[in-house]
Amino acid sequence: MWLPFLGLVLGLTLGLLTDIQIPSVYENYLSIAVLAALDTIVGGIRANLQQVYDDKVFITGFFFNIALAIGLAFLGVHLGVDLYLAAVFAFGVRLFQNIAIIRRILIQKWEDRHVKKDEKTV
Amino acid sequence: MWKMMNPLHKKKQNKFKRKHFILLFVSIVTGFIIGYAYNLARDDKQFDSNYFEQEDIYRTELIEQQERNKELMDELNALKAQIREYEKSFTESTNDYKELAQEAEKLRLILGELPAHGEGIRVTLKDGHYNPKSTNPNDYIVHESHIFMVINELKISGAEAIAINGHRLKPNSYIHCNGPVITVDGTQYPAPFEIEAIGNSETLISSLKIAGGVFDQLLNDSIIVTIQALDNIEMPSINS
Repeated sequence: MWLPFLGLVLGLTLGLLTDIQIPSVYENYLSIAVLAALDTIVGGIRANLQQVYDDKVFITGFFFNIALAIGLAFLGVHLGVDLYLAAVFAFGVRLFQNIAIIRRILIQKWEDRHVKKDEKTV
Repeated sequence: MWKMMNPLHKKKQNKFKRKHFILLFVSIVTGFIIGYAYNLARDDKQFDSNYFEQEDIYRTELIEQQERNKELMDELNALKAQIREYEKSFTESTNDYKELAQEAEKLRLILGELPAHGEGIRVTLKDGHYNPKSTNPNDYIVHESHIFMVINELKISGAEAIAINGHRLKPNSYIHCNGPVITVDGTQYPAPFEIEAIGNSETLISSLKIAGGVFDQLLNDSIIVTIQALDNIEMPSINS
């Protein structure tokens, strides 16, 4: 459980310490990448809780989602249409849905445990 | 039992590690992206606020500097007036210094450091009327060369102070043509050009109107010239 947090902290420090400047045009892509990465992680947690987790799906989904989002944003910039909004919308909706599912599963588990405890005490 | 369990156990442990490795890797990448984006956004904001602050600072500095300039200008004028007072008292008290002080006064007048007033003439140069025969408007508008002609003639015939459209000329003034307007020391003036000169009006007028002189040449270039003798012309100093 501590491993992802360790990785997150390590990554954050690395990201804060890097001092590479990129053109402001590409900052849009970065926000999309953040969203895609978050979506994949939350999706992975949900899959793990539902016991349908698979390594390959997780790791390919991570990179493929980021690449797809950036590609869409890139295409949008070159066509003059804000296509990155599509990615923001899709990832946003999925993020909320996945978090809602995780919450429900956790509540279910918590209630189950309570019921067992109650049965034991009685 | 152990031999049977072992490979399975090993495989499970292996998979466990692999899963964790992937999780670690993904979270590092995510953290990196988030941190980097945060860094960029923070830099951006800093730059924006810095830019506005700097603009504000520069503006305040400029205003301060301009106020300071104005103060110094006032001080300069006051000091000059003081020097003149001293010189005047000299002329009254000591005869030796009288001529020197008078000469200084005269030179200062020529330099344009003092407001001048006195008898003089006013020459007005106007663009000629539209001439349908001529295709080139340059044939009947006032050029800088015409102004030079008038000014040179006035200086030669003893004008003490000259001003164009109220702009006092310094010894190192520059005039140049800039399309329909002329630029005198960086300020633009449109036609008609009023050239005022302080001096003996009779001498000045006769020197301008000499046969084949400046007046005739200007008329020849179809420019409307009027020469006017005035009893009292007021002229500002070059500093104002």
